[in-house]
Amino acid sequence: MNTIGNYCLVLSWALTLYGVIIGFWGAKTSNDRLINSGAFAARASFIVASASLVSLITLFLQNDYSNHYVWQFSNREMSPIYKITALWGGMNGSLFFWAWLLALWGAIMSWGKNIYDKKIFAWALPVHLVGQLFFFFTTLFFTNPFHYIQANFVPADGNGLNPLLQNPYMAIHPPMLYCGFTLFSIPYAFCIGSLMANDLTNEWIYATRRWTLVAWGVLTTGIVLGGFWAYIELGWGGFWAWDPVENASFLPWLTGTAFLHSVIIQERKGMLKSWNIFLITLTYGLTVFGTYLTRSGIVQSVHAFAETNFGFLFLGYLIIVAAAATYLLAIRNRGLKSDRALESIFSREAAFLINNLIFLSICFATIWGVLFPVLSEAVTGEKQTIGVPFFNQVNVPLFLFMIFLMGIGSLVAWRKASLSSLRKTFLAPFMLSLLMAALLVWAGVTSFYPILSYSLCFFVFLTIIGEYHRGYKVHGVQVLKKHSRRYGGYLVHLGVLVATVAITSSMAHKIEKEFTLARGETFKVGRFAITLLDLSGIQTGNYDAVTAYTVLKSAADGTVLANLKPEMRHYNRNNENTSEIALRVGPREDFYLVLAGLSEDESHASFKVFINPLQVWLWVGVAIMIAGTGVVLVK
Amino acid sequence: MNKVFILLVGIALIGGAGLVYLATGSTKSLVLVPSDLLTEQNKKDMERIRVGGKVSSDEIKYDLQPEIMLTFRVEDPADAKGSIPVVYKGLKPDMFAVGRSVMIDGDFIGGTIVATKLLTQCPSKYEPPLPQEHKNS
Repeated sequence: MNTIGNYCLVLSWALTLYGVIIGFWGAKTSNDRLINSGAFAARASFIVASASLVSLITLFLQNDYSNHYVWQFSNREMSPIYKITALWGGMNGSLFFWAWLLALWGAIMSWGKNIYDKKIFAWALPVHLVGQLFFFFTTLFFTNPFHYIQANFVPADGNGLNPLLQNPYMAIHPPMLYCGFTLFSIPYAFCIGSLMANDLTNEWIYATRRWTLVAWGVLTTGIVLGGFWAYIELGWGGFWAWDPVENASFLPWLTGTAFLHSVIIQERKGMLKSWNIFLITLTYGLTVFGTYLTRSGIVQSVHAFAETNFGFLFLGYLIIVAAAATYLLAIRNRGLKSDRALESIFSREAAFLINNLIFLSICFATIWGVLFPVLSEAVTGEKQTIGVPFFNQVNVPLFLFMIFLMGIGSLVAWRKASLSSLRKTFLAPFMLSLLMAALLVWAGVTSFYPILSYSLCFFVFLTIIGEYHRGYKVHGVQVLKKHSRRYGGYLVHLGVLVATVAITSSMAHKIEKEFTLARGETFKVGRFAITLLDLSGIQTGNYDAVTAYTVLKSAADGTVLANLKPEMRHYNRNNENTSEIALRVGPREDFYLVLAGLSEDESHASFKVFINPLQVWLWVGVAIMIAGTGVVLVK
Repeated sequence: MNKVFILLVGIALIGGAGLVYLATGSTKSLVLVPSDLLTEQNKKDMERIRVGGKVSSDEIKYDLQPEIMLTFRVEDPADAKGSIPVVYKGLKPDMFAVGRSVMIDGDFIGGTIVATKLLTQCPSKYEPPLPQEHKNS
């Protein structure tokens, strides 16, 4: 199996190389036979790469520990599903999986080639294949998952996957992220392809609209699943820590979101053409940059990725991508002139442009935060870092400004809005939001940012409701169907608002408390009272555990709300401790309970509790965003 | 290119740069290894530092009462010449153990690191050493 997998990997690399050469040659000479041959190579390399992938999965399922990678990330006790997901448990498998995904998208592109403009497709496919070639090359020569173990015997059992990663959300979070990242290769390829083909129309945007939306939706889901995993598994009561690895997935999301908005301006007004080419190239580059960031060891992260010595490969590829895009932009510059100029700052065009600038500002501030240790060491010789407070200080105001634009951007008139139209559209929501702010102060919210955030969300909510109301008057209940793109977009915005309110309240009004209880004792926190009933230990083959049996009641009237059973586990095999948190999810707040430890005589248990207000609405908000993306896709 | 466009980009650049500059100044912290602190130990207290190192095998104390507090010592990841005491008022992270890499944010006061944040490196991508025992089996 190992040999078959390895040969298939070599073959898919060779087929990709053939596809690149023949594809470019065919596009250059407009030779249909060569173009079709390149497309055939794309499909063939996918099929062969799939055979290779299946071989690796088979090695995992057969517990074949003569394979180094299988030995590293699997063991006999793991359930088959986690043996399969151990495929992306380490770097070698992850990069291989990445390459395979690129091959999958290339094959889908090539199977559906008749729906695309022939000339653009001829150039776009080899552009996509260049990226695929790069990842197959890296997999084959630097991170080959088909290496035999460097020992003169076959170990009886494997090392096993970290227990924290044996979790259903962790099983699907990485592949979702990788799908999102790799899917951005298609709009990028069509963009560069159309520049090479000297087709400077909007065709590449129409052709890849669905791909871009799917990429965005999948990436959004992937990022949020990672946060959800951290929330329920890591036991620190939060979901986002501005860790370099999280940032690596956030960066392309930011530029991708900017791109989704600015293409609307190109489609409707023929403006921002070069800008869109820049944005999609940047998004594609950032997906590769993220891999470089996390694999090269240049930044410290809580995710201790294996440090590698081939970071230069990624840097080199990025330079090639940037240089090629810059060159193409320069030689096609004349054809990329805007059809019209920006007339006024009070126009939809300007609002979209500012939205883009804000997205990029957040992106660059985040890059700055990630690379600051490297930069400061290079400049001052002293290594310095900036942490979570930096990201919050910079990104919170920028993000809130964006929420404001979200309300303005979709309502303000094209070209130039008159003062009277501005007043007519925005006066009522604006006054109501001021009222909302006053109410919040009256209700006891005193900090500036929360008041601003809630009021802004309310403002945008009113404008969106107004839009739905107007749409309903014209189209009736069919409103989502008739203009799915517009009203689906508003649905995404609505989801963003719900999520923003949730994030604001969890940042501003979170309660953290530590307490120690003997059996039968009760602790009151907020509107809750928690009683420890019993403590008990259990042993399974896999781990030893201590469970605290508690009951959560309402402090006011003693109604039983939930039985919570937080647990501490010790996995003997890897000598790992994990806390299994207990969670009571409610519409008002999450009650998040961690068992911190037992006293030496095991009579007392110590707990840490986090009360996260409105937390569940973050996940609901994101679900609405994804549903909205689905509606936009329908058209 | 026209005036409005340039104006917008200009405002964004200046505003963004200003925001980043201010936030950087007020949140940056020095990155050190424990041995850096050994040499400066008797000199001065330091605010806002980040120390990356390895949990030393000396003494780990995890108190639950009167408040949750973790006391341990941290040393250089390699060639440790000595260790620095750390006090952290918070939960012991799941993967905290002797020999694990930790990242500590906090202040250096009177020869002790008073941690405000303690992160253990997630060993998800940890490369284990090759199996050694039963070589002849």
